[in-house]
Amino acid sequence: MSVAAAGVAKTPARGIATLAKPAEWQLALPLALAYAAFFLVPLLLLLAVSAFEDEKITVLGFANWRKFFGDPFYWKVTFDTVKLGFLTVIATTLIGYPIALVYLGSSPRWQRVILFIVILPLLTSVVVRTFAWIVILGREGVINQTVMWLGISPAPLRLLQTEVGLVMALTQIEMPLLLLPLLSVMSRMDPNLRDASAALGASKWRTLFKVTLPLSLPGLIAGCMLVFASSTTAFISQFVIGGNRLVYLPLLIWQQSLVVYNWPLASVAALTLLVSVSLGVVLIATLGRRSKGYVHA
Amino acid sequence: MTSRPYTRRKFLAASAVVGSGSLVWRPAYAKGSVTAAMYPGTWEEAYRTHVAPALKKAHNVDLGMTPLFAVDQIAKAQAARGTPPFDAFVLDPGPRVTGIERGLFEKFDPKRLTNVGKLPAGAVDEWGVTVAAQVVGIGYNPKKLPRPKGWEDLLKDPWLSRLGMTGFQTTFGTVSIIEIAKRFGGSETNVEPFFTEIKKVLPKVAAIGAPASMPALFQQGQCDVTYTNTQTVDTLKSRGVDIEFVKPESGAVTFFTTVHIAKGSKEIDNAYKYFDTVISTAVQTALMQPPNNFVPVNREVKLSVNLPMANLDEMSKFVRHDWSKINPLRAGWIERFNREVSK
Amino acid sequence: MLGDILPNKPSSKGGQVPTRSADPSISVRGHTVDLDAVTHRYGTLTAVADVSLTVRAGEIVALLGPSGCGKTTLLRLVAGFLRQSAGSVRIDGKPIDALPANQRNVGIVFQNYALFPHMTVADNIAYGLQAHGRPRDDVRKTVERFLEVVRLGEFRDRLPRQLSGGQQQRVALARALAVEPTVLLLDEPFSALDKSLRLDMQIEIKRLQRQFGLTAILVTHDQDEAMSIADRIAVMNQGRVEQFDTPINVYDRPATLFVTGFIGTTNLLRGKTLHSSNGTTTIALDAGVQLAIASERHFAPGTPILLSARPEQLHLYGEASADRWPVRRRFALPIGPNTMHDLETRDGATLKIVEQRIGAIVDATGEAWCGLRTEARPSLFESSSQP
Ligand SMILES: Nc1ncnc2c1ncn2[C@@H]1O[C@H](COP(=O)(O)OP(=O)(O)O)[C@@H](O)[C@H]1O
Ligand SMILES: [Mg+2]
Repeated sequence: MSVAAAGVAKTPARGIATLAKPAEWQLALPLALAYAAFFLVPLLLLLAVSAFEDEKITVLGFANWRKFFGDPFYWKVTFDTVKLGFLTVIATTLIGYPIALVYLGSSPRWQRVILFIVILPLLTSVVVRTFAWIVILGREGVINQTVMWLGISPAPLRLLQTEVGLVMALTQIEMPLLLLPLLSVMSRMDPNLRDASAALGASKWRTLFKVTLPLSLPGLIAGCMLVFASSTTAFISQFVIGGNRLVYLPLLIWQQSLVVYNWPLASVAALTLLVSVSLGVVLIATLGRRSKGYVHA
Repeated sequence: MTSRPYTRRKFLAASAVVGSGSLVWRPAYAKGSVTAAMYPGTWEEAYRTHVAPALKKAHNVDLGMTPLFAVDQIAKAQAARGTPPFDAFVLDPGPRVTGIERGLFEKFDPKRLTNVGKLPAGAVDEWGVTVAAQVVGIGYNPKKLPRPKGWEDLLKDPWLSRLGMTGFQTTFGTVSIIEIAKRFGGSETNVEPFFTEIKKVLPKVAAIGAPASMPALFQQGQCDVTYTNTQTVDTLKSRGVDIEFVKPESGAVTFFTTVHIAKGSKEIDNAYKYFDTVISTAVQTALMQPPNNFVPVNREVKLSVNLPMANLDEMSKFVRHDWSKINPLRAGWIERFNREVSK
Repeated sequence: MLGDILPNKPSSKGGQVPTRSADPSISVRGHTVDLDAVTHRYGTLTAVADVSLTVRAGEIVALLGPSGCGKTTLLRLVAGFLRQSAGSVRIDGKPIDALPANQRNVGIVFQNYALFPHMTVADNIAYGLQAHGRPRDDVRKTVERFLEVVRLGEFRDRLPRQLSGGQQQRVALARALAVEPTVLLLDEPFSALDKSLRLDMQIEIKRLQRQFGLTAILVTHDQDEAMSIADRIAVMNQGRVEQFDTPINVYDRPATLFVTGFIGTTNLLRGKTLHSSNGTTTIALDAGVQLAIASERHFAPGTPILLSARPEQLHLYGEASADRWPVRRRFALPIGPNTMHDLETRDGATLKIVEQRIGAIVDATGEAWCGLRTEARPSLFESSSQP
């Protein structure tokens, strides 16, 4: 009975599927066009502009590419940018993952409270949040007052315009980007799995490393990729907190494009940023997939 | 035919909105109207409050504003090629020179301004008219530091270890560093002595920040002395921050913000009316009051006690710079600053 | 209300309870589970109220009741996922209340199986063994053995999502059994399976339970399932156990009106008692008849009562008699070899009767008389005790 019914049902279903295909393809068309107009075309323009030698964009040539990649300073800036991204990813993960675990173990009501607190920073502008960090990290800021009160250091620590301070600020600023995908994956995880693990005799840690972590990995990877891409390109936060002491690619792009009008060199820096961010994102995805293999084994 | 460039202008104005993340304030129906590019923030606020109503009252012309930084104005005008997205520029000396070099301005006839006689000498030329001055010097916290005498003091203790610096990205930053370099044997075109000196003391400098963050850094006590302009000092003071402006021994530095008619503008008459309104005694007086704190350019304005001069003619003794010489060197200086200052 | 808890006499099926594993290579013997006045509250809601049960070694007990009556909660208390608000749980007489779930050694099969989706079938089965720190070689051998027990050897490297529902359930069983649990808990194990597979899995579970001499507690809201698989059934309602007895007793001797209504179909007839003596109570039904009913309970004369009679306990006659009451036939439905008659009594009650279609009554509608079959033993309840 059921086999026959299934057989009957299948044929029309397949027919609909083949009919639906071109329609679906057409539905994606506006998105594809928008993608072409707002991403592909600007990207090609960027490439084209980078292939000029002079600031007025009249002489073709690769002088700016040679200048950029022939200079160890620019290599260092690129390296620092990627390093900043990874430091932020590590810091957000170390702080964010335990928060996600607390979320997982909370009642629905507390979960809503945690989610609200996580989203809260997104409701204020990056500029406001960044300037708030000047207040926190400053010589007379909250952190230094605490440090001096505890007697850890006799003089205020220099946190503003240091990598440590910048990573601290970015950790808070980028935290929602890590937590939102992570919490969404975690809340879709079957709570019975953790109970099943416990019933089979597994300790809390074994359950964490063998069940919770591998199953939340897709959310963690997505979050890490967002944090990486966002922190490496966070011009306002990098410049306001890092000042001129810390030079990253976005600052170079801003200076070259908007202060000295050297668009070809700005394009080279922008493309370098694009490529290094993409490579970083791919690396995170690969690491994630690898470690998934390890965790399973 | 006539409507086409207009819609195109609208489109470009709309792109400017997208680009700057702010709103174009443009009258829907205007008998006479003029669209001015305007610095976002303080300038836009002050011009909306004081200039727009005065222009409407005096000439029945509506003022529309497109919020754009100087560099964006140059970039947009250049991209538009002859049909600019606005009628009037407002520019600092560096971009002004770039605009002249790239032929972005209509020729300017000072005789068409009724108020031109109230301006100090040299405030108008064949390209435009000065609407505001900036006076640059040293700002310091008198509760924490003794009064510095000149630019060279900034690189000495006790000021050095409390110094907040910015680079060559802003006009006031650039002129201040040039002045420091001059104290150590440099000149308008040679800032090498500055780099030599700063390299020796770099780790002691309290803050090397983004220009926009300097007021916040000062307010938070991250630094207690910095190069700055009178407008910033007055604004911080009005917020209760302990800060005093010092005119260095070698003289305060001044530079002017000028307005220009965009090449290809269809509203040239109204642009002159707009400029005339801006430099009128009433408007200049209003713009000098807190919270705007502009330095006026109209000699009939009774100067505020906060300003470091008794009258505008004194400003002719202030240090000024030739931006046609500075501009070609600036890219190199910015790059150099990046290298020397970052670890 | 709960006069029926903890019958200590041996089960009527006692002889069938195995005490030894059928497979000599696997020696898991049954353990007893005692629930002693267990209560659980979620905030102000009492989900489990003062439940006492004894599950004997090697016995399958079904917790049967409508959705939301507290079955899952009770199971989770035994597993240790929840800590009861009051009362105590003992395994083999020893209280386990202080033990966390991972030290109770209780096997559980979830309604949705809760297989680890990122692990193969073999890894799922090995999980508990590894958690117990078994040597690698031992783990491998045990996994092989259990793959064979549930006949899934060729699927060892598949992921759970690549298996059918029935196969997934067998993996869940193997995973739970591999660590040799003291007791196996099954939460609605068949509800996710389609009907044809359900019976196969019921047989499979029964087979494994016998093979390992397991003590098992099974949660279900399906009475047929409970009747066919369980040695004893605890019927639950609103957090309480209404009756704890063998399937036959629960069906034939329902302790409460709730049990009568929940298990099988029944007909309720309103009336009052006339007199009660020597285990027989004479009643007058509003439908228009006097009947003598065998009843262990003594009722004061004049007590309003409800008579509960199963459809198969009633019979339809063509003519009147002293122990029959008149009914109006509304319609009849053929059900296989039987016919189900829908009848209305004089006092407006609806009766359902199942008759074999032999042909005594030809008309589908019209007047008829209804009476109890000779051996039928319907139940009597005070009508104030109606839920
Ligand atoms: N985690 C919980 N928090 C609050 N109430 C719950 C929770 N789990 C179950 N309940 C409530 O407890 C009662 C019994 O639930 P449950 O044991 O799941 O019933 P069953 O398994 O018999 O359907 C229900 O009313 C249910 O809504
Ligand atoms: Mg349940």
